[in-house]
Amino acid sequence: DARVSCHRHYRSRPTHGIGRFKYLLPKEAPKKRKDRVQMKAVNVGTEHEYGDINIQMTSYDMCLVEHFAKHVHRLCNRLSIRVNESYAMPTKTNEVLFLEERGSKMQLDAVLTTHQRVVQICGLSSTFAPILLEIIQSNQPEGVDLLVKEHTEADFKMRLKSRPELEELLAQMS
Amino acid sequence: ARAQPKKKKKVDVKREQAQKERMKKKIRKLEKAASEMIPIEDFMTPPKYLESKRVRSLPPLSSEEIERRVLLMKKWSLYKQKQDEAEKKAIQTLVASQQAALKELRLESEELYQAAIKRDEGLFPFERDGPNYTPPLPDYDPPEGKCTDITKVYTQ
Repeated sequence: DARVSCHRHYRSRPTHGIGRFKYLLPKEAPKKRKDRVQMKAVNVGTEHEYGDINIQMTSYDMCLVEHFAKHVHRLCNRLSIRVNESYAMPTKTNEVLFLEERGSKMQLDAVLTTHQRVVQICGLSSTFAPILLEIIQSNQPEGVDLLVKEHTEADFKMRLKSRPELEELLAQMS
Repeated sequence: ARAQPKKKKKVDVKREQAQKERMKKKIRKLEKAASEMIPIEDFMTPPKYLESKRVRSLPPLSSEEIERRVLLMKKWSLYKQKQDEAEKKAIQTLVASQQAALKELRLESEELYQAAIKRDEGLFPFERDGPNYTPPLPDYDPPEGKCTDITKVYTQ
């Protein structure tokens, strides 16, 4: 602060407190925990509006998946659909082994990495939903699997690290 | 002979209670710490790509080649623009025809209109596999093998 940097305050002068500005800024909320419970939105409502919906794109090819996720995100922006979050799920690695023709040893064929990106949208109207699905499907690149489903807490918990100690203690308690 | 079993009961109950409280305190401490997200390996560049800074030296391009590329880029961008515009137009016509159909339906019967506007519960979850470059071979006999999951498990 300018007030603190100079060592005399001149409190009787009209220029006292010159340079103060932090009191004008909006108050920042305290840093929230990462374990935020997601918003269970307008799931009720016979008309319009689904709640939080996850568009999950999976593929072995990371560039394709990222480009497709970017395309879907920009499409939703263009169609003024509210995008809550656009994140990546942890990468899964698979080792493919095959049995040689002559021999009983398993040989390593390849190491495949499966990448998944999620675009979370909210407030999709019931009349527009099939249209959006059509457009996303028509732009789907090769080898990218699409999964559109409602967001649940289980989906959120998949992104968090497992806590074996806590689980052990809880199991011991009950 | 009578006093000893009583002591055992009291001591056991106290011990058990103390143990339970200790466990509860531990649980509360662990629960207080916020759960962390699994770090995503995609976003962490492997160190071998950060080390050496070898630069690729490309051969110089002739002016004809540069011109050819520029014209190609212009044609491609025009093609893509037409494609994008066609898509936007398609969306607009879809929405317009949907609205017109709903209007007509409303004039026909209010009940059916209300039922049509309701959200479709069977729509989600929706799954579709991406198209493939080539269809699967009909008489292919794959070798036997297995797939093991070697994802790194992160614990907190």
